[in-house]
Amino acid sequence: MPFESLAEPNYLRSIIQVSLTVSLTAILLSTLLSLPIAFVVGFADFRGKRVITAVINTGMGFPSVVVGLLVLMALSNSGPLGALELVYTPEAMIISQCVLAAPVITGVALSAIESVDDAVRDAAYGVGGTRTDVALITLKEARYGVVTGILAGFGRAISEVGSVLIVGGNIAYADGTSKTRTITTAITLETRRGEFETALVLGAVLLVLVLLVNGIVLRLGGR
Amino acid sequence: MNLELEHASYGVDDTDILDDVSLTLSSGEIMTVIGPSGAGKTTLLRLAALFERPTDGVVRFDGMDPWSLSRDDRLEFRRRIGMVFQQASLFETSVARNVDIGQRVRRPWSQRIRGFIRRVADRWIRSAPTVDDRTLEALDLVGLREAWDRDAGSLSGGEAQRVSFARALAAGPDLLVLDEPTSDLDPRNTAILERAIERARGRDHGVLLATHDMHQAERISDRVAFLLEGELIEVGPPERIFDDPRDERTARFVNGDLLYDENGLLA
Amino acid sequence: MEYRRRELLGASAAGIAAAVGGCLGLGGDQSEGSITGEELALATTTSTYDTGLLDEINAAFQERFGTPVAANAQGTGAAIESARNGNADVILVHARSLEDEFMREGHGVNRRSLMFNDFVIVGPSDDPAGVADTEQATAAFEAIASAQAQFVSRGDDSGTHTKELAIWDQSGAEPGGEWYQELGSGMGDTLNNASESGSYTLADRGTFLSMQDNVDLEILLQGPIEGGPELLANPYGIMAANPEVHSNVNYDLAMAYIGFFTSPEGQELVGDYTANGEQLFYPEALSEDPNFQQYVPEGWQPDSSEE
Repeated sequence: MPFESLAEPNYLRSIIQVSLTVSLTAILLSTLLSLPIAFVVGFADFRGKRVITAVINTGMGFPSVVVGLLVLMALSNSGPLGALELVYTPEAMIISQCVLAAPVITGVALSAIESVDDAVRDAAYGVGGTRTDVALITLKEARYGVVTGILAGFGRAISEVGSVLIVGGNIAYADGTSKTRTITTAITLETRRGEFETALVLGAVLLVLVLLVNGIVLRLGGR
Repeated sequence: MNLELEHASYGVDDTDILDDVSLTLSSGEIMTVIGPSGAGKTTLLRLAALFERPTDGVVRFDGMDPWSLSRDDRLEFRRRIGMVFQQASLFETSVARNVDIGQRVRRPWSQRIRGFIRRVADRWIRSAPTVDDRTLEALDLVGLREAWDRDAGSLSGGEAQRVSFARALAAGPDLLVLDEPTSDLDPRNTAILERAIERARGRDHGVLLATHDMHQAERISDRVAFLLEGELIEVGPPERIFDDPRDERTARFVNGDLLYDENGLLA
Repeated sequence: MEYRRRELLGASAAGIAAAVGGCLGLGGDQSEGSITGEELALATTTSTYDTGLLDEINAAFQERFGTPVAANAQGTGAAIESARNGNADVILVHARSLEDEFMREGHGVNRRSLMFNDFVIVGPSDDPAGVADTEQATAAFEAIASAQAQFVSRGDDSGTHTKELAIWDQSGAEPGGEWYQELGSGMGDTLNNASESGSYTLADRGTFLSMQDNVDLEILLQGPIEGGPELLANPYGIMAANPEVHSNVNYDLAMAYIGFFTSPEGQELVGDYTANGEQLFYPEALSEDPNFQQYVPEGWQPDSSEE
C-alpha cells in the first residue's frame, strides 16, 4: 500500500529526529577534531606535510561501507570496544559519520586556510598579534571556505547509507519509532519493499532538510 | 625609542642577503632606506620589525636584544613596532575593525570573548556599529575618518593602503616600519600618506621607510641610508646623500647610473 | 536583509538547535519507557521483516511484557553473524542448515520451529527445460541443468539461497557454467532480473505473489502449500543466544519472546497475518503430536558421535 509507512505519525518524525541528531552531533565532534588539525598542518612547514595532505585527501573518498564495517567490528560485543555496548545504537552511527566527515572538513578547511595570503598573516603578526591571534585571524579570513567544508561534511554525513546501515541496523520499534533508522536507511527499506513512492517522498524530505540547514548556516554568515 | 642594528647580517642557505649592517634610529626621526631592487631593503626592515632574527650580529631595541628573551617577553617589544607592507592586506571586515585590531589583540582574553559575544548579539538585534576615538583619530590622520563603517573590500587601492597605515598607527607603536608603502599609489594618495608619516614623526614616532622613489626620500627624510647588495654603503642627511655623497656608488645610484651586466655590478 | 526574515531564520535555527539538544541522549530510546528498562535485540532476515509480521508480534509482545523489541533486519548471513558475535539476544531466520550449524557451534540454544511458508520455482512461460512436467524440486533442477537453461541465483547466503543450494545438493546436477548466474541481490531484484532475462529462479511465494503483476514469470513448480514437494517448504526457526558463550545477552527476555511467539496467542497472530488478502505464514510451533526434531540439528541422534 503506497505511503503506508508515512501514515504512522511517529515514523516520519522519529526518523527525521534520528537523522538530524546523529548528523549534527557527528559534524560538531568532527569539526572540533578537524579544525585544529587543519590549522596545525596549514601553518606548519614540516617534512611529512605532503604525505599528510595526501592522506587527508584519500580519506575524503574512502568507501563508507568499509568504515562502517571497521566501526562495527570494533564496537561488536566480541570486539575490542564491546564493553561500551554501542553496537546498533545511534552513538555508533555518530562515530562512523564522524570518521567519514572528518577528512572532508579537514581537507577543505586546510585548503581554505592555506589559501589565505601570507601577507594577511604578516599583517596580523605585524600589528602585534600572537601566534594564536594570527591563527584566529587566518581562520576568520578563511571562514567561508571553512564553513563550506563543514557543510560538505554535513552533506556527506546526513546522506550516508552504507555505513549507517551496518553499524546502526536500521532498527525501528514496532510502533514505528526509530531507534537507528535514518531517512536514508528508511529509503533503502522502502525501496526494498517496492514502496517507491514513499522512498521518493523521503528523498524529498531529506533534500529539504539539507537545503534548510545550508540556508540557515549561510544566512547566519551574513552572505 | 631607540633602534640599533649592530653588525647585523641575515643569510639563507649560504647566501648573505644582508651583510654587516649597522645603524641607529631614534624617536622623532624618519630614516629612508634606498637602493636597487634585491638590495635587501625588505630584509632589513623585517629585521628591524623583529619579524626575522639576524643570523649574525644584534638588533637592539631600547638597549635590549629582544631575541635573547622569551617569546612572550619579545612580544612586548614587537608590540612597540608597527609594520606596513607594500600591499594593504586588509582583513575582510569593516574599516573600523581593521584599524582597531591592534587594540583588540592587546586586550585580555576575558574582555575579548565578552566583546565577541556582544558583537554577535548586536548583529542579531541589528543595533548600529560603533567606533572608538582612537580608531577615528588614526583614520583622521590619513583623511579617512568618514570611512570607518565601510567594508574594507569597497576601498580603492590607495584608500586601502591608507587604512593599512592607520591600522599600524592605531596599535600605538613607537617605531613605524614601512616597506615601500606608496609604491602602488597615485600621487594624491602618496601625498596624503607622506603627510600622515610626517605627522607621525611629529608625534614622536620613529619611522624606518624603504622606498625606490628618490624624490620621496628627498622630501621627507631626516636621514637616508643607501643599501647595495646587502651592504650599507652610506648613511646621512638627504642633502649630503643626494648632492654630495661620500661613496662613488651612492653617487651613481642617485644619478641613475648604477649599471649591471651579467656578472653583476659594473665597476 | 530584512529584519523579519532574519528573525524568522534565527528562530528556526534556535528551534532546530533546541530540538537537537532535546533529542541528544533521547535518540528514540524507548527502553526508558519500558517496565524492565531493557529492550530485546532481535536479529532477523530482511524478507521476514519486510512482511510486517514482526511489527505486529513485537507490538503485542511489548504490550504484554512491557519491553520493546529492537528488530535488526539484516539478511540471514548477517543476522547469524551478529548473533555469533554476541550482538543479538534472539534470532529468527529460515535457513535450517545454517541454524543447525549455529546450534552445533554452541551459539544458540532452545530452538523452536516457528512457522513456515514455501518456495516456488518460477520461470519463463515457454518453459524450455520442461520444469512444469516435473514433480520434484530435485528433478526440476536436474532438468534445468541438463537443458542448460538460464537460471539466476540470489547468491547472498539468504534463506532462499540456502534452500536453493540444498536442492542442488540433493539433486544429481551441478550448478555452474554460463547458464547459472549468481546475482548477490534481494528477492525482488532477482525476480526482476529473471523476468528480464527469461531465466528460472527459486522464489519465496510471498515475494513472488506481491510482484506477480510486474514480472513476466510463471509458477512452474508449486510448493507444499499448494501440493508441491516437501523440499520446497520454507520453515522458520527461532533461537536464543547462548548466555554461556556471550555473557551480555538477555537470555530470560529472549526466552520470554520465544515463549510468546510460540504461544497460542502468538501463533494465532502468525496465522491471521495477511498481506494483500493472502495468508503469508502457517504456524508450526504447536502441535498435539511431539516434534522433537525442532530442538536439535536435523538428523541428530542421541548416540551419534558428536557431542
